[in-house]
Amino acid sequence: MNLFGGTISNLENGLNYASLKNKTIAQNIANVDTPGYKAKNVSFEKMLSDAQSSTISAKRTDTRHYDFEIKQSTPGVTSYENFSYRSNGNGVDMDAEQASLAENTIYYNALVERISGKFNTLNSVIKGGR
Amino acid sequence: MSIFSSMNTTASALTAQRLRMDVISSNIANVDTTRAKQVNGEWEPYRRKSVTLAEDNGQFSSFLNKAMGKEENAGNGVRVTAVNDDRETPFKLVYNPTHPDANEDGYVEMPNVDLLTEMVDLVSSTRSYEANVTVFNASKSMLTKALEIGK
Repeated sequence: MNLFGGTISNLENGLNYASLKNKTIAQNIANVDTPGYKAKNVSFEKMLSDAQSSTISAKRTDTRHYDFEIKQSTPGVTSYENFSYRSNGNGVDMDAEQASLAENTIYYNALVERISGKFNTLNSVIKGGR
Repeated sequence: MSIFSSMNTTASALTAQRLRMDVISSNIANVDTTRAKQVNGEWEPYRRKSVTLAEDNGQFSSFLNKAMGKEENAGNGVRVTAVNDDRETPFKLVYNPTHPDANEDGYVEMPNVDLLTEMVDLVSSTRSYEANVTVFNASKSMLTKALEIGK
């Protein structure tokens, strides 16, 4: 029986997505004055398909070998190549970036809240409701 | 990807914007400097300086991924590639025969600094700096929140 169920690993994937998104937003806002820079975005679908497909697992020739898997870390970051917001070719929409930064922070906090709640539930079960 | 990478990204931008502000300060401070550099025994007025920014995606893996047609990574922030002298804009000629640097016709070459442009650039870089401070605080609150998992 799986003690933790799927919830915690799902929440963990959500946290990974949110922290990558935070990094991407930081990069976009950092490059708001860079000529020719194009805004980047994290595509959730791409991350999902990456997580499902691109794993390398060890080939075992002996049963005593340890089994391990490596997740290839090519996250789903894409950039909008032919979109310019300013005359110097820069494609960062400052207001949109600020808005998604706020949204992403709340999303991250919500996930943390939930993962904490899950652990508290388990704790309560372990202690037998006392 | 390390935990603090988004903070490093933001920190690089804060450094770059601060350098931009320093250069703008230098331009404004030298708006009347007629003796900035000696060229062939002649004094030359101060030339306006400007900062060139470029995206920093210095990691080897990011170039490899791009070459292999895979997705890009989020990048490492911004870096200053050069501080250039403005050699396009001509010096301003001001009629002042009593000035020690005046030429035979009584004109003095003044720096090619335009105060209005500098002020606009200064406000622009201040706003970018503030935006990056906002991002830094958001990243910080997220990391602090993550420490509370399981409490």
